[in-house]
Amino acid sequence: MKLEVGYIDITDIQFSDKASLQDGVLYVDRDAITAMILEDERIRAVELDIAKPGESVRITPVKDVIEPRVKVEGPGEIFPGVLSKVQTVGSGRTHVLRGAAVVTTGKIVGFQEGIIDMTGLGAEYTPFSKTFNLVANFTPVDGLTAHDYENALRLAGLKMAKALGELGREVEPNEVKTYEHLPVMQGAEKYPELPRVGYVQMLQSQGLMHDTYVYGVDMKQSLTTMISPTEVLDGAIISGNCVSACDKNTTYHHLNNPVIHDLFEAHGKTLNFAAMIITNENVYLADKERSSDWTAKLVEYLDLDGVIISQEGFGNPDTDLIMNCKKIEAVGTRTVIITDEYAGRDGTSQSLADADASADAVVTGGNANQVVVLPKLDKVIGTLDYVDKIAGGFENNLQEDGSIVVELQAITGATNELGFNRLSAR
Amino acid sequence: MVKEVERAGIPVVHVCTVTPISMTVGANRIVPAVAIPHPLGNPALSMEEEKQIRRKILDTALKALSTEVEEQTIFEVE
Repeated sequence: MKLEVGYIDITDIQFSDKASLQDGVLYVDRDAITAMILEDERIRAVELDIAKPGESVRITPVKDVIEPRVKVEGPGEIFPGVLSKVQTVGSGRTHVLRGAAVVTTGKIVGFQEGIIDMTGLGAEYTPFSKTFNLVANFTPVDGLTAHDYENALRLAGLKMAKALGELGREVEPNEVKTYEHLPVMQGAEKYPELPRVGYVQMLQSQGLMHDTYVYGVDMKQSLTTMISPTEVLDGAIISGNCVSACDKNTTYHHLNNPVIHDLFEAHGKTLNFAAMIITNENVYLADKERSSDWTAKLVEYLDLDGVIISQEGFGNPDTDLIMNCKKIEAVGTRTVIITDEYAGRDGTSQSLADADASADAVVTGGNANQVVVLPKLDKVIGTLDYVDKIAGGFENNLQEDGSIVVELQAITGATNELGFNRLSAR
Repeated sequence: MVKEVERAGIPVVHVCTVTPISMTVGANRIVPAVAIPHPLGNPALSMEEEKQIRRKILDTALKALSTEVEEQTIFEVE
């Protein structure tokens, strides 16, 4: 499966009475986007705003971040099975508005959303301080259940990203990259000398609005399965997550999964990126056992030499992670796991809820309990009502001078377990 | 908590969903629960059925509490 991705660099975003994309500037028709969102009868009101890198702006509570993309050639549409018919994506050509993002906020599960600061210390910890953001703050109709609210907000965000992406259809990209994922036998014949490396991506699927969708399928209802990494670049996996902000994968993270990108980068040079497996993180022990059994079965079946496993979230998914690691090692395939840590504010507690001697190669996204002080910023998009209750916040953490004391946990993408972070400790 | 109470000489049964974590942290008597969001019930069932589940888990826990163990043991709910 071969996908050409054309990256159009976005250098500014502005409201305008006509939607267009010219010389890197994204002009957003606020009225048209608002009207599109309000077609969903579950949404009573939406406020659109713009947040640019370096501005004194705080966005909270953040639900999802989505990158605008459009399919230019080849089968299917962006976000298949959700916004468009189920059709296999991942081949042909796709245009990306690189540097732009749609950010959705609302009070669905206020304590399980995140913070994005566009400047100051907080901005260092979130990748979305560097994107030109169209922010939508949604108010539901009275009496809407949290599940319906989440669903309405999720779809609205995707529609916005699709509408913006559409503006890049005819634009000449600044850069074009080609990603090719070969059928198993072809890959083996082409690169007989190279180690066969796979990627096992664990998807949050605990239910109660901790969910991920693949071609529209709720991942907790699926067995472990395979996907072409190019399909992921076309929006086959989307986030429906209301969970701790630091280590959930937003839809933006899925679209730009750095594990996939780095494996493609190394493909044909130092390794053969042979397969991608997706599995879930369910709340029944039998599901955890079954799904991790299945992961190991597929790894053995595909005859992989090494596997990278990325986790999403923390706590009981630590067990899914360790089960995957242990069982894959047991079929003779070496693993590296990517996780993050909840090691206490002083960093001395046990980092993961579960452990095993076979997990001897670990990459960490950082300690989510690390406390940071976020300065007062001039403008808030959304509301500060939840900053004391947010996961990573605590009572009276809003200081008299307007600064906020939080654990990294509260910051969107701060300890991301795909490695989508800019800070490192060396 | 399980380990601290046992350190004081009182045997403990750990009822929990993710028994591997219970094994990792060192509980001696472990009884599997239903699911993480609802360890002692199941919202998909009727109140009466849920009560039966709770009764079975409790009976198993009491049995575990009165059983001598030589090593970490998981007592399956029948």
